[in-house]
Amino acid sequence: MSEHHEQTFWTKYIFSTDHKVIAKQFLWLGLFFLAFGGFQALLIRWQLAYPEQPLPWYLLGNLFYEGGLMTPDHYNVLFTMHGTIMIFWAITPMLIGAFGNFIIPLQIGAPDMAFPRLNMISFWTMFLASIVLLASYLLPEGAAAGGWTSYPPLSTPVGGIAGEGQTLWTLALTLAGTSTLMGAINYIITVVRMRAPGMTYFKMPLSVWGLWLTSIMNAIFVPIIAAGLILLLLDRTIGTQFFIAGGLATVEGGDPLLYQHVFWIFGHPEVYILILPAWGIVSELLSVFSRKPAFGAKVTVICMCTIVVLSSIVWGHHMYTTGMSPLLGKAFMFLTLLISIPSSIFFLNWLGTLWRGNLHFDPPMLFAMGVIWVFGLGGLTGLYNATVTSDIYLHDTMFVVGHFHYTMAASVLFGGLAAIYFWFPKMFNKKMNPLLGKIHFWVSFIPLNYVFFNMMVLGYAGQHRRLYNPSEYEFLAPISDLNISITIFAIILGFSQLIFAYNFINSIINGEKAEANPWKANTLEWTLEGPIPHGNFATTPTVYNGPHEYSNPAVKDRDWIAQSEPMPT
Amino acid sequence: MVKNTMKIWLKKIKSKTKNITWTAWGIWYIDPPKDVSLDGYRIDNVIQYTDTVITIYFSIVILALIFFIFKYRTRPGHTAVYDKGDTKKHVLATIAMGLLVFFSIDTVIEAMSFRDLKEAFWNFPKGKNVVKVEVMPQQFAWNFRYPGSDGKFNTEDDVVPAQNLMHVPVNTPILIQIAPFDVIHSFYIPNFRVKQDATPGMVNAMWFQATETGKFEIACAELCGNGHYRMKGYLTVESQEAFEKWLADNAPQEDDDDWDDWDTEVDEDNREIPKEWGWTWKEIQ
Repeated sequence: MSEHHEQTFWTKYIFSTDHKVIAKQFLWLGLFFLAFGGFQALLIRWQLAYPEQPLPWYLLGNLFYEGGLMTPDHYNVLFTMHGTIMIFWAITPMLIGAFGNFIIPLQIGAPDMAFPRLNMISFWTMFLASIVLLASYLLPEGAAAGGWTSYPPLSTPVGGIAGEGQTLWTLALTLAGTSTLMGAINYIITVVRMRAPGMTYFKMPLSVWGLWLTSIMNAIFVPIIAAGLILLLLDRTIGTQFFIAGGLATVEGGDPLLYQHVFWIFGHPEVYILILPAWGIVSELLSVFSRKPAFGAKVTVICMCTIVVLSSIVWGHHMYTTGMSPLLGKAFMFLTLLISIPSSIFFLNWLGTLWRGNLHFDPPMLFAMGVIWVFGLGGLTGLYNATVTSDIYLHDTMFVVGHFHYTMAASVLFGGLAAIYFWFPKMFNKKMNPLLGKIHFWVSFIPLNYVFFNMMVLGYAGQHRRLYNPSEYEFLAPISDLNISITIFAIILGFSQLIFAYNFINSIINGEKAEANPWKANTLEWTLEGPIPHGNFATTPTVYNGPHEYSNPAVKDRDWIAQSEPMPT
Repeated sequence: MVKNTMKIWLKKIKSKTKNITWTAWGIWYIDPPKDVSLDGYRIDNVIQYTDTVITIYFSIVILALIFFIFKYRTRPGHTAVYDKGDTKKHVLATIAMGLLVFFSIDTVIEAMSFRDLKEAFWNFPKGKNVVKVEVMPQQFAWNFRYPGSDGKFNTEDDVVPAQNLMHVPVNTPILIQIAPFDVIHSFYIPNFRVKQDATPGMVNAMWFQATETGKFEIACAELCGNGHYRMKGYLTVESQEAFEKWLADNAPQEDDDDWDDWDTEVDEDNREIPKEWGWTWKEIQ
């Protein structure tokens, strides 16, 4: 009997094929790495503000470094792993792994993913990748130090990084890519094949649209980076020279530029892979909390699709300074700037949703509106990097760092936090404390803007990125104070996340039981009483209404109608 | 007691933060390094135009957001207007505004950028007065080579000054070709608004012209290893006469056997000094 019980525990919580359990597993993994990667960011900021001064006790300097002093090697490891972890181990599992898994089947009225076992393998591959990645910290030479882009020849043994950390990094990333690919195929097929009766494509909630388009992009572009990484792995381990040329090469025919192309063919879509789920979720939440249908939902979807297509042909704007042919440079610039058309239409639709709404400022709404602000800034500052001439000056400076933190870190993270506050009652059947949620928003929003905006100012003043010690340069002397104030705000930002951690964990343990539909939302997941059993819907729902039927005058007494409820006549 | 502790803490914080720049919008009073090049103003102009226009658009968005937050906040008796925003009028209005953004920002900066690339950055100077320099970065230093009096590289009279020191004459176009010895580096001179990657297996070109004399810093903008941060060089801009004198001072001596003297094998950083230059000037067009 006890044996049987133990087996149940394992299949129920560990090797589960239930998409809701896998979603939680991804969420915990993502949150762990978010804290881990975020902490590394604080160490980086300390070094930039107080170069070569011992780390303070609250950053646990003595624990990591002798005398709390960071060397250039440590610093290179820090920013490399910070970037890698935040992108592939924090944001990807949180938004795509956790919410992709949780939302898609529930919102389209499916009993589970199309391939539940593949789904489970996807998580455990990611888990294996995490172990490989974390193991690289234990090596005597330390973890990878070639930047998150890991351009060869620097990332090959002949280029100076000889330790196995870089090899494990390549391996871990390939494994993480495999996991993402398995998830992507699963999501795509689930959406195509398992929608409930009546759930046409345009009746799918925008959050599902975002996640679905992301999965399509993942399925197309992850194999490209995987190919590049495997070639890099061969260069590192068995001495091939795919990406080595010039003085270091012993055979002819390799090309470091090839890696950059392969990397950015994946790397630019990756930005949209991360942002599309956040966009979808934000569009969805703005509609729920404005008690109003999403403004121009079809146009929003068409814009998202346009951006997916465009994003795959603009990668060259990461490479303007590589000595690109003028014709190519101009073409990439034109294509990149084209993205601003769908983006602005998209953005206006967000404002249109708020227009004449009935706005409720619950924590998910605050974060969703925060995305309007941070993505506005992030998107607009992309113009400088898209333009060849201004990019000549700003490329590889802190400006770029500030810009992509606005788009990727701020927008995606706020989207993810909005999603956590919104779906927490459905995931854990408990309520989160709304007051702490609102405090968390403000103590994140203000320091975050100070940090990322002034990073761009640093870049405008000339500070190049991945710089161990800015005090080496005279032209950076005027901004050394700015570096200090940014660091202070970064530390405030980092430690204020403890409010969220407390609220999250305390609510799971001690939280009040949540009602089935606390936000009065109309998508299918809210029709289910929690805890939702394996298999989700007792009877497959039939869908009658669009995903954002709020304040419809045909419905009396309340301002919403569930998707599965026939419209009163 | 508590009050006193608070006071002490406040004093501590004040004394620690007294001289720090606190800025919400530092961009208004933090300037980029002084531009001392002929064409750097073009880049500054594009940046300034973009600054202005995006400030306007962002302000409009934020003002609208704040207005909506105030006007449409939930309160008793207030209801939302059921509006899907999918009528022809709405769709056309959003598309029109999207195009307005595109034509007021994107096409303008694109036109500026195309013009500047054609007139300056990709319009490499030709002629006799052009000073040619070969740059070969390595982990973690800059090597420079001048063609000497015969105007040709890879000959006996090539001038290879000490590492990290580059001299150029003022008001003269400087044409640079660049290729690295080992990994990817990027030649970055903030005061001249120029940046060019050096990629193994490729010879890249760039040019600039100084308008003022002085000593300026050169930095490596592409991560190249743990010494990346201290891969610093100096660019001295001086008069034509001073430059010629400097070239003559650095010219190879009679007893120099070209590279052998310069080749000290391994320096204090355990860095291999290139024994050969390994590549040479590539005539463009």
